[in-house]
Amino acid sequence: MSESMNKRKLLAVIAEEDSVTGLLLAGVGQVSNEPGKETNFLTVVPGKTTVDQIDEAFEAFTARDDIGILLINQHLADLIRYKVDSYTKAFPAILEIPSKDHPYDPEKDSILKKVRRLFGE
Amino acid sequence: MSGAGNREQVFPTRMTLGLMKVKLKGAQQGHSLLKRKSEALTQRFRDITQRIDDAKRKMGRVMQVAAFSLAEVQYATGDNIGYQVQESVQNARFQVRAKQENVSGVYLPTFDSFINEDINDFKMTGLGRGGQQVQRAKLVYTKAVETLVELASLQTAFIILDEVIKVTNRRVNAIEHVVIPRTENTIAYINSELDELDREEFYRLKKVQEKKQEAVAAAELEEKEKKEKTNAVRVTKNQAEGDIVAEVSELAAGDDSGNILKESEDDIIF
Amino acid sequence: MEGLFFNVDYGYVEGVVRGYKSGLLTRNQYVNLTQCDNLEDLKLQLSATDYGNFLSSYSGQLSTSVIQENLSKKLYQQFQYLRSNSLGTLSKFLDYITYGYMIDNVLLMITGTLHERDKSEILSKCHPLGWFDTLPTLSIATDIESLYSTVLIDTPLAPFFKDCLTADDLDDLNIEIIRNKLFKNYLEAFGEFIHKNFGLPDVEIMDKLLSFEADKRVINISLNSLNNPDLLSEEKSALFPQFGLLYPLYHHQLSVAEDIEQLKLLVESVAEYKDIFSESADLTGGARNLEDWFYLIEMQYCKNAFTQQFTMSTVWAWLRCKEQEIRNITWIAECIAQNQKNRIDNYISVF
Repeated sequence: MSESMNKRKLLAVIAEEDSVTGLLLAGVGQVSNEPGKETNFLTVVPGKTTVDQIDEAFEAFTARDDIGILLINQHLADLIRYKVDSYTKAFPAILEIPSKDHPYDPEKDSILKKVRRLFGE
Repeated sequence: MSGAGNREQVFPTRMTLGLMKVKLKGAQQGHSLLKRKSEALTQRFRDITQRIDDAKRKMGRVMQVAAFSLAEVQYATGDNIGYQVQESVQNARFQVRAKQENVSGVYLPTFDSFINEDINDFKMTGLGRGGQQVQRAKLVYTKAVETLVELASLQTAFIILDEVIKVTNRRVNAIEHVVIPRTENTIAYINSELDELDREEFYRLKKVQEKKQEAVAAAELEEKEKKEKTNAVRVTKNQAEGDIVAEVSELAAGDDSGNILKESEDDIIF
Repeated sequence: MEGLFFNVDYGYVEGVVRGYKSGLLTRNQYVNLTQCDNLEDLKLQLSATDYGNFLSSYSGQLSTSVIQENLSKKLYQQFQYLRSNSLGTLSKFLDYITYGYMIDNVLLMITGTLHERDKSEILSKCHPLGWFDTLPTLSIATDIESLYSTVLIDTPLAPFFKDCLTADDLDDLNIEIIRNKLFKNYLEAFGEFIHKNFGLPDVEIMDKLLSFEADKRVINISLNSLNNPDLLSEEKSALFPQFGLLYPLYHHQLSVAEDIEQLKLLVESVAEYKDIFSESADLTGGARNLEDWFYLIEMQYCKNAFTQQFTMSTVWAWLRCKEQEIRNITWIAECIAQNQKNRIDNYISVF
């Protein structure tokens, strides 16, 4: 377990442009030539990026063995909500983050939903 | 018989009873241990959920501040640096390191932020314009990502703990509601079977006793009749009475004990 | 004397620009904008200004980027109108203004090509004012030599590239250096052009504005490369435009300055820039930072530019004011959208 854990060094991002820019400024981006691991971020352009592409990226990022945390804009997670909600693996951890135009809504968060369900609220 | 449908298929012998008793004791001990583990984990779990809740709210604020710092960059540079930033990315400066923490025998992974200061893909970004804001946005976002990493650790712990607690509770319940009643049933069954055997044995012994007493009574009667006959003969033949009577009664006593032994032995063989 | 025939050629454009200028948002209008509670309100407020119904065709969720885009569109339309109505020296002057945007576009294309991005995607990000016909063909280039000899040589940018051909490979570091070098060449050529073709009030005004632009770049470059060991002091000073208030006295010293205090001392010895660092050390925001000071100074220069008559420099001044206005509105919109009202007054308004 710990060996596979040590490989998980990266953060992946599925977000709209501004969030990606900010997170890349923080230095989470990694570009390589390895097939299947070209980039660890997906910029979602409204009207251009399809839900299928988001879906694909989600699949790809969660399947990679070098990603520890996947950050996804909450409003984008909403588009593939069924997938995010049914995701049960511990790694990579999925984190829903707010975006500039979509403030954070704790009601929608899949983890918080689980929390509430557990405590019967 | 109670729990006839829910017991282990065993021969009701004293040895199995012993085994079952050990098993019950083990199950009870295991139950109390697991229960305690589950309680410890649940406590931790509640603690974590509380922290997740707080952290998620904090994240909302932190990310807002971060997004705002980006707005400042945009104000300073006049155009969107997003494209430039995306193209400049080479290596991850911000990485995470996973380490493990032991909570009641469960390994919880946590992420640690790890910043490689040697890597800086954005040295030149905003060189001619807005570089200060870019650097500031970088700092703010780095802080924000650190918060995110913390949150991710909590969340991973949450998911793993959730799973472990479920498993532990399942075990606790299994022991409490299946294993223990089953073992108890088995013990009760063995006990009742053994009692049954005892009762049968007791009854049989009683019967044997009865039979023996009957036999003794019959033998005595016969003896008596014989004696009476011989006595009558001897009386008629006028022999010395007292001596013979004493002899006979001694003999009879010796016969009696011999009979009982013999009979019960037969019975056992039978 | 030069005022006598000015209106024959340039009177119309100047009139239009002055008309545009009076359409710039005033302090009161800004105050109204800052009172808005959401972007819909902002849209409503803006529709009472020169922008009119600039968002009327847009339906759907308003966002700051949409607002900014549409504001900019208005600006481009106005500029294109001026350009098509200009002639002679004025149209050359307007061309020179667009070269700055062209440089950015060229660099954008090169960056995109380096990373094998979709061409149409990059083209959509190019600045409309810096558009030229051969821009899309830039994506064929792999090294700067072929880029220059096939495409750029026919563009007005060709002279600016004369010093950049030494860079034999293109990477991200070089691109940023090339960008600044191009800008240096551009600013110098622009200054030369002004001196050659313009009459007195224009030269005076443009000189002031351009030297400010040059100084701004010098200060920015030296400040932003303080902790960057990859950029040697000679390389740095090669990026400094050779004029401005800081030239030539402080250029060398700025290029070798090692910390921010040293740099401050140098810059503050110029009277015009005495204040710019005054509160920029405060990194938490709130107070004016360096960039704000630059904008403020520039706006004051631009405002003063309008006080002279018979000048073509009004176009430049107006363009700058308009750009600042768009930044201001975007800022206000951003503050409203992100609920950061305490910083909303950070815009710069001089009218």
